[in-house]
Formats: sequence, C-alpha cells, structure tokens
Amino acid sequence: MKRRRLESAALSAGCVVVALFILAPFAWMLVCSVAGEAELTRRPPVFAPSPTLANYAFIFTGQMPQDKTRHGIFVWQTSHEVRMLMPALRNSFIVALSVMAANVVFGALAAYSFARVAFSGRRSAYVFILTSRLLPAVAVAIPFYAIVQRLELLDTYRALILVYLAFTFPFTVYFLSVYFRYLPAEVEEAALLDGCTRFSTLLRVVVPSAAPGLMAAAAFAFMTAYNEFLFALLLTQTIAAQTMPVLLAAVATNPAVSHALLAACVILAIIPPALLAVVLRRYLTSGLIASVAR
Amino acid sequence: MTRPSLYPYATILPVMLVVAVFTVYPLLHSVYLSVHENVLTRPLDNDFVGLQNFREVVGGYYFWRSLWSTAVFAVMAVAAVTLYGLGVALLLNQPGVLGSTLLKVVVLLPWAIPSVISGIIWRWIFDGDYGVLNGLLLATGVVERYVPWMSQPFTARLCMVIAHVWKQGPLAAVFLLAALQIIPAELYDAVRMDGAGRWNAFRFVTVPYLKATLALVLIYETIVAVATFDLVYVMTGGGPADATAIIGWYAYTEIFRFLNLGRGAALAIILGLLLLGLVMIYLRLLRSEEAA
Repeated sequence: MKRRRLESAALSAGCVVVALFILAPFAWMLVCSVAGEAELTRRPPVFAPSPTLANYAFIFTGQMPQDKTRHGIFVWQTSHEVRMLMPALRNSFIVALSVMAANVVFGALAAYSFARVAFSGRRSAYVFILTSRLLPAVAVAIPFYAIVQRLELLDTYRALILVYLAFTFPFTVYFLSVYFRYLPAEVEEAALLDGCTRFSTLLRVVVPSAAPGLMAAAAFAFMTAYNEFLFALLLTQTIAAQTMPVLLAAVATNPAVSHALLAACVILAIIPPALLAVVLRRYLTSGLIASVAR
Repeated sequence: MTRPSLYPYATILPVMLVVAVFTVYPLLHSVYLSVHENVLTRPLDNDFVGLQNFREVVGGYYFWRSLWSTAVFAVMAVAAVTLYGLGVALLLNQPGVLGSTLLKVVVLLPWAIPSVISGIIWRWIFDGDYGVLNGLLLATGVVERYVPWMSQPFTARLCMVIAHVWKQGPLAAVFLLAALQIIPAELYDAVRMDGAGRWNAFRFVTVPYLKATLALVLIYETIVAVATFDLVYVMTGGGPADATAIIGWYAYTEIFRFLNLGRGAALAIILGLLLLGLVMIYLRLLRSEEAA
C-alpha cells in the first residue's frame, strides 16, 4: 500500500513538472508583458516586476508612459511596429474565418459525397485530393507566388485565403468523410426514401449529428490559417494584408526590440488559439487521433 | 436505378478546383524552373540547362552542410519529441492521479499557438544578454556569468530542439495516448497476477502494443522536423555558423536571398523527394497496421 502511494505521488509530481514546462513560458511572457523594459534588461531580470499596463496601452493607443526609469524610453521608438498588431490581428481573423467557413461548407459538401454517394471517378478524385498534401510547402513557394502574381492578388486577403484553402481542404475532406462514414447510415437512407434529396439529407440529418466533427474541422482550419507563416511572408507586403505571424516575426527579429512590448503582443496574439485549444480540447483530441490512426 | 446525377460532381468541384490549381501547376512550374537558368539578378539569361542546377546543388558545400544540420536536428528532435510524448501519454493514462486533469487541460496549448510565436517565446527565454534562463541560473548560482546559448552551435541546436519539443510534443502525446487507451485492461491484470511489476508490465504489454503507433509517430515527426522553417526563421536565422541552417531554410535563402530560382527549385524538388520517401514509408506502415 505504501509503495502504491509513493508511486502515485511520483506520477502526480511528473504531471506537475510537465504542466510547469508547458505553462512556464506562457507565464514568463505574461510577466514580461506587464513589466517595464528596464526591469527586463537587468541581470538577473526582476522576476516579479510591479505590474503596469503601459505596454498594452501603447499597443492600443500609442500612448508612451511617463515613467522613464522603468521603461527604457528609446525602445518605444524602435518597436513602433507593435502599433500594427491590431490591424495584423484583424487581417489574420478575416483570413482565418474565411478559410474556416469555406472549409466547413465546401469541405462538408465534398466529404459527404465521397463518404456516401457512388459516382464514377470517386476513388481517383479522393486519392488526388489526399496526395496533393504530400507536396512540401517550401517546394511550391515559387510557383504559388507566380500564380498569385498572375492573378494580380499579391498583398490581398484573397491570395492567402486561396492558398490556405489548398492546404486545408485535403485534411478537411479526409477528416469529415471518415467522420461521416462512422455515422449510422439508416437514418439517412430513411430520409432519402422519404423523398429528401442528397443535399437536404446532408443539411437536415447529417449536419446536426456530425456537429462535433464539423466543429473540430472548423477549428483545425482556423488554426492552420491563423498560424501559417511562410506564405503569409511571401505573398503579403503591407499591413493591408499582413497577418499577425509576419508582423510579429518582423518585430521579434529586430535587434533593438522592446521585449516588454513584444511580450504583450504575444499574449494578445495567442488568446484566440489558446481559447480554442482549451474549450474544444475534447473534439480536437479525438480529431487529431482520427487523423493519424484511421 | 437512378440516372447519373450531377450532384456529386457539383459538390466536389470547388475543392477539386482549388486543389488542382495549387498542385498540378506548381509541380510543373517547379520542374520547369529547376532545368532552366533563372537568377533574378540576371533576368536575360533563361537558357535550358538540363540537370546543371541539380549538379550545382548536390556538388555544393552548403547542401551537404545543411543536410548534416538537418540530420542532426531531426535525430535530436525526433528522439526528444517521441520520448517526451510517450512520457506525457503515460502520465495522462493514469486516471486517478492528482494533477493529470490539469495536464489534460493545458497539454494542447503549445500545439495550438503559431510556431512563430513559440520561436519568439523560446528565443527570449534563451537570450544571451537578458534571457530568463540565464537570469535563473545566475540567481541560483549555477553559472557565474550569462551564457550565450544561441551563439554556440551545439547549444543553439539544443535550444531549437527544446522549443520544437515544447510545440510538437503534445501531438505525439495525443497520438500515443490514443494507442495506450485501446490496450485491453485484462492484459495488465493478467501480468500483474503473474507477479509482474510496473516495469515488466510496461515492457511486455505496453511496448508491444505501442510499437505500430511509435513507428508512425517517429516517421511523422521526422517529416515535421525535416520541414521545419518557422522556428529557424525566428530563433536563429540559420546560425551560428550555419549550425541550424536546415534544408528548408537553405532552400528559402537560395531563393529569396540569392534570388537563384533555378537552384532553389532544384533544391526544393530534392527536399520534396526526400519528404515523399518518408511519407511513403509512413503510408506503408499505416497500411500494415491496418492489415494487422
């Protein structure tokens, strides 16, 4: 019995250590985001700075703080791009929400046909869509650029949306068609016998019972688009379309950056995906598992 | 008998269209570029050069250097991600344990955020001038002065691996947890009856059951590690001394710094074939697992 208790204490300790490894970087960013630059550029840094909202205030309003001792004042000039965070997040949201909506609508339509409707060419079309994912991103960077340039879509939302759809559609179609196949077919057949068309069966019978799967597919599409970096870097140039990862990479690779301001940007930028990860974690977990195992 | 309907074709059309445009054309374009001279600083020379771009890439010092860096990073990253994922999965698979719920809630967080941001976070933690790791080590007396972690080849690689594990580990953990959960509990009871301890139960029940999933995770994580780009861009820019200039980064610099599209395309095709080989192994494993 004593050994049992020791074991479970060790396991608990393991859980806590891993949870700390996961959370500590976030916690430190949170601390930095309410610190003054001067407190972070000491050796060692002030581990528990007296909190201030000046960094967030600057991002939202552009107002510089009065207290020059806590905030190394010149970094406010060299980090002026952080003022672009809100427009960049807006761009990210517009792109990610569009990609998400298109994935749910067109992905579900296609996936349902692949799952339940017999038609000639079904198998080859399905295989084609899936194998398209095998192309690594770097390998198609130049041609993607060429396509977008030819369509005169450089530095627009539409370019990013199109490219992200090409990346996300295969997974959505695969994921949802597997999901649909696992639903009981009898209800759908009854609806078809009652004179429903395929489309209205999908809309009235399948969609309600597949809601968790659709939610997971939507979240995956949103996250992929929200997190993507390489193509956002290549295909956008100005804040008219630049997304958050591009802006933050530019801010972070600036050697004279204010780390306190950067930390505040990071905290603001991770709120949406972090919320999704915690709230939808059950759907996401089962979705992830389905994506490799089946 | 119903007449052939347009419905299925209409429903798959949007997806097929987008995927086809962004698959077929890029493939052809890449191949075309790779066999032509195409340097943006010499726009008038666009001759067909056959396999010269490939020869130049494969014959070059930087290609082998980046392959080596890729291999070193991939081996360290894959081993670390898999071990970490396995550890986390085993912890999550103990329902009664205190703290396991907390872990379950937070485990997906690093996976969910952009890899650019995970790079930014860890770069700041490892910073040689003001990083909190140095701060903690100094405050506890482990080091006497700040260590420039990101400026030495070995430690820079290590920093990247830690950031990579933090970001990629959750996914591996979730996959392995799924495999752990389908191991029948009776098997554990049976070996326990035979007097086996935890270690033997792990060795003789868990490991054999996990083998297939472990193989999948290994290959999948290899693909992810070889294709790593965002982390390099934000954390190291390929340095120090090209220690972290792994192949995806090398292709990027060839194209966008040296503006040599022909060589960049050749390199991208080599990388593509490399990844394709890995994917083939992955699919074969997946199929043999399904058959089993």
